[in-house]
Amino acid sequence: METMMDAVFELHGGHVRLGGREVLDGIDLRIRAGEVVALLGPNGSGKSTLVRALLGLVPLSSGRRLVFGSERFRDWARIGYVPQRLSVGGGVPATVREVVSSGRIARQSRFRPTSRADREAVRRAMESLGIDHLAGQSVSHLSGGQQQRVLIARALAGEPEVLVMDEPLAGVDAENQRALAETLTLLVGEGKTIVLVLHELGPLEPLITHSVVLEDGRIVHRGAAPEPSGECAKPGHDHVHPHAEPEPVSLWRALVGRTGRH
Amino acid sequence: MLAYDFMQRALLAALLIGLTAPAVGTFIVQRRLALLGDGIGHIALTGVALGLVTSTSPLLGAIVVSVLGAICIELLRTRGHTGGDVALALLFYGGLAGGVLVTNFAPGGSTSSLLSYLFGSISSVSAEDLLVIAVLVAAVLAFLVLFGRELFVLCQDEEVARASGVRVNLLSMMLAVTAALTIVVAMRVVGLLLVSALMVVPVAAAQQLTRGFRATGLLAMLFGMLSAVGGLAGSYQFSTGGVNISPGPAIVVVALAVFVLTTAGGFLLRRRHTPLPAGPVRSGGGTPSEETP
Repeated sequence: METMMDAVFELHGGHVRLGGREVLDGIDLRIRAGEVVALLGPNGSGKSTLVRALLGLVPLSSGRRLVFGSERFRDWARIGYVPQRLSVGGGVPATVREVVSSGRIARQSRFRPTSRADREAVRRAMESLGIDHLAGQSVSHLSGGQQQRVLIARALAGEPEVLVMDEPLAGVDAENQRALAETLTLLVGEGKTIVLVLHELGPLEPLITHSVVLEDGRIVHRGAAPEPSGECAKPGHDHVHPHAEPEPVSLWRALVGRTGRH
Repeated sequence: MLAYDFMQRALLAALLIGLTAPAVGTFIVQRRLALLGDGIGHIALTGVALGLVTSTSPLLGAIVVSVLGAICIELLRTRGHTGGDVALALLFYGGLAGGVLVTNFAPGGSTSSLLSYLFGSISSVSAEDLLVIAVLVAAVLAFLVLFGRELFVLCQDEEVARASGVRVNLLSMMLAVTAALTIVVAMRVVGLLLVSALMVVPVAAAQQLTRGFRATGLLAMLFGMLSAVGGLAGSYQFSTGGVNISPGPAIVVVALAVFVLTTAGGFLLRRRHTPLPAGPVRSGGGTPSEETP
């Protein structure tokens, strides 16, 4: 076993085949505790599939996956997954508090009612994302940026060691992207491991400790520091950098000020 | 009307089903499976027919066949390449055709014996039926209480549920089986053709007024009970010598009336409240937010 003690995710010769197509073609990857890893690549490069393979959401057609050194990982409370967007589903409303509380699921037992610790963790998660004043609101009535904060708060409510985020910058305006960077900076300061699927580094660039660039299901570049210029210069790269035009003071900014963080 | 034993039993049955059907319905609607109830209802008809043919219990036949049907739907939905709606449609047709054909072989052979199952016959609920209903209702509610948190995560986002260690396939199957049991229970009250209405309409009515999932479920249960009792009482009161009002359809009509009222109420409620200072709910790509300064 070449397993590292501090490895959070390991993939050895990982292949994923979806609908007859080789989406991941022999990936070797190790993500260690405390790293902030950006998985980069153009559309269809397999970066989203890679993160889903790491989480065990898609089966490997061959290769080995280890999470915290275990092939049969079950302690899901250690990992918080933040999907790209909130799925509103069949339209039964849910409040911000309900959605954030559901992030406790991996720490709760079926036969035990919601505990004080559960409620406390939910309150902290909402506060740290500046959405505590929205607790009673229906999530479907929130803006895109606010919904993203609900999703991050849901993951944080489970008090995970690792945060996995799928395209957190997609469809988020410049103001909210900077706010996200501030939130992640705090989480990195707490020692959390963060794995991000990204199309572009944007304002998250200074946080990234490792970057992995994928193309056609293969890792074509990995480095300690990101190389955005090379990546962006590639043909087929969708250039969607947000442009920081002068904008009115956002609610988020006002909130960050209100909760005493900057 | 409570002077009669049969009305007391009918009222109890209506209350139990009015409570349970919307409780299950809240999760079913959230999973976009509002028509699942109809699919299972049709399949249950074949079970009823099998019970009639073998001169055993139509109720037992309905339980067995609809639970098997629910499992089939779930397997088709998750494993097969058939879309969920097509899988449901196939079972609709199969269940209805099977039910009528099998009944032809029953002693007597007339499909008219199916009518009471298609449209309900709450006034003929026996003490024994009531016991079966009560036991099934208890089982369904116990499942929802124990697994409610996991079901909520599952119904919100399947991938997140998987990544949180929820056993998605098993739980989906259990939810489908629970829906099947609820339908068999409700079969006596509103009939198999209208059974799904009690699972869906109170939920649709409740969500006009609520912001949260739990609130929607609880309000839907209240609306369900009101509709069931209101429809039953109405059909008793307004049935005269010449006109005989069926309780099942009356219950569904009351539920729909509640929906119309709450929709109007919700509309007025939202107009009075100023909307949140919110940007685009789902911006396509870097649209600047519309937040007001």
